[in-house]
Amino acid sequence: METYFLPEERFFPFVLRLTEENDVFGQSKRHIRKFRLEAKEPPVFDGFRTVEPMKHFFMRAKEIVAKFGEPLDKEISPQVIIGARRCDLQALKVYDKVFLEGEVVDPFYKERREKTTIISVDCEEPTETCFCNIMGLEPWSDKDSDINFTPIKKGYIVDIITEKGNLLFGNSKDWLQTADENDLNQRAEKRRKATELLGKINSEYSNIKLEKALETENMKARKGEPMNCVECCACLMICPTCYCYLLYDEPTKEKMRVWDACYYPAYARVGGGANPRPDVMERFKNRFACKFEYSPKNHNLFACTGCGRCISGCMAKIDIKRVLSQLANAASQKEEI
Amino acid sequence: MKTPYEVNTTKLISVVDESPTIRTFRLEPKPIEFKAGQFAELSVPGVGEAPFTPSSSQYDNEKMEFTIMKVGRLTSALFNLKPGDTVGVRGPYGKPYPVEKFKGKEVFIVGGGVGFAPLRALFLTLIHKIDDYKKIYIRYGARTPDDIIYKQFIPEWSKLDKVDIKMSVDVGTKDWQGKVGVVTVLLDEIPVSITDSSVIVCGPPIMIKFVTKKLLELGFPGSNIYLSMESNMSCGIGQCNHCRIGELYSCKDGPVFTWDQIKHIKDPFI
Repeated sequence: METYFLPEERFFPFVLRLTEENDVFGQSKRHIRKFRLEAKEPPVFDGFRTVEPMKHFFMRAKEIVAKFGEPLDKEISPQVIIGARRCDLQALKVYDKVFLEGEVVDPFYKERREKTTIISVDCEEPTETCFCNIMGLEPWSDKDSDINFTPIKKGYIVDIITEKGNLLFGNSKDWLQTADENDLNQRAEKRRKATELLGKINSEYSNIKLEKALETENMKARKGEPMNCVECCACLMICPTCYCYLLYDEPTKEKMRVWDACYYPAYARVGGGANPRPDVMERFKNRFACKFEYSPKNHNLFACTGCGRCISGCMAKIDIKRVLSQLANAASQKEEI
Repeated sequence: MKTPYEVNTTKLISVVDESPTIRTFRLEPKPIEFKAGQFAELSVPGVGEAPFTPSSSQYDNEKMEFTIMKVGRLTSALFNLKPGDTVGVRGPYGKPYPVEKFKGKEVFIVGGGVGFAPLRALFLTLIHKIDDYKKIYIRYGARTPDDIIYKQFIPEWSKLDKVDIKMSVDVGTKDWQGKVGVVTVLLDEIPVSITDSSVIVCGPPIMIKFVTKKLLELGFPGSNIYLSMESNMSCGIGQCNHCRIGELYSCKDGPVFTWDQIKHIKDPFI
């Protein structure tokens, strides 16, 4: 890994240079936006993650995956994602396990992954829904992306982590300067502050023992806040680790793949109508078991990165942190919540 | 781009009415190679696809057969197909019956309703090398004598040495000679060694549940009870998550599981 300093005024020209050969996406007003050569303003790093997860860069919400009786032509263009957070990078590990490291490799995912360069950024100001610290993560990463940016005074500390990151910088490397001790101290201080803030935000949940919450026998949840669920599935669609998909055929004989969500009543229903999880609480239990029990068993990873998007997205104000904490307490006391 | 969702196209050659709601669809040429117990996604162009386990022998190189009950949208579309129509097949998926483990043993096959379909593929595979096995028992239950499938083959199979077939129906008729009652009545007499036989069960979930319960009460070891835990398999490759039973996937870890593999999952038979 090489560490440099990039002056503030060079950042936007760097991004614009990237647009010449790549589809470039970055953060603007909390959302992910495409940046073109004619962009008027640079991407911003607004303190914490974007509203949208990164998953659609690798698995489209809806796409053609086969044609009946004929080959599929598909072109995948190179892309650069600027502003990925630690929670986003961790989620990609779950996707990699499923789509790259399983028995069958997904060709679309593989090609998109190969053609994507990820520039991550430190979280400076985690928000109240953030809980990556509970999931054992720090609000920055110096190894899971291709390049990492840390905003400091008058510019950025740039870690070039992979060869892909090095290639992406190309000619712009001339703009990089040596990061001095003062720069590195600023970074250390910023990271310390962000960690401290996360600790404060989640102080009442610091004792969550996930292994307790996973005693799913106790997850009957007949009276707790999951009962408020209206089954809109926003939490699952916006979850960066949820990867369930549905296949269906169009009358045009194209096979489509769309994101699916295990809260939908028909999700596991079989031909003839039998349904293993007809009750929403069964599906709730399944979601939690999937994230905190099955994924660790199958992939050695929690399928939750503490990004808190499901909390922001829930119209019934169901808070996964609170539910996990209630479950852990209930499990300790052998109660139903 | 080569994708995991591409189908091999083939033609529907003929259809056999097995019962008022069950038909066997014969496809030629054989679209994919498979082993008994593995399933495939069978698709009707422009309508969709659904998982089915072939009912023909894996050794049949000419054709592939699926025995299917009409229950929903896709199966209705299949029932509307005419000989000569094109269908698609992708697969095979999942793990086959571990027939090598049955060698030298008594094989006790328990089926219910259309669940006899994958068992026929297994049975045809077993009788292909019948000397490898001590004896093959089939215990099959259907709702009524009319609902019994493979009626045209059963007399012929019964004549084979080392094959013993008994059937029951939930509701009998005047002419019915066999037992009356749910399929567990066929377990009242156990002709096989409890500790050293292989038991293969396939049928509706409720039937699998009660048969398993009975077998365990009788003392059959969970490692010798093979259950067809078919669920909503869609991708077939362990990704889409629809068929998951606990942390296991019917599509890649199953669809055949031993009781020991799934007994830690709370109520898997739903």
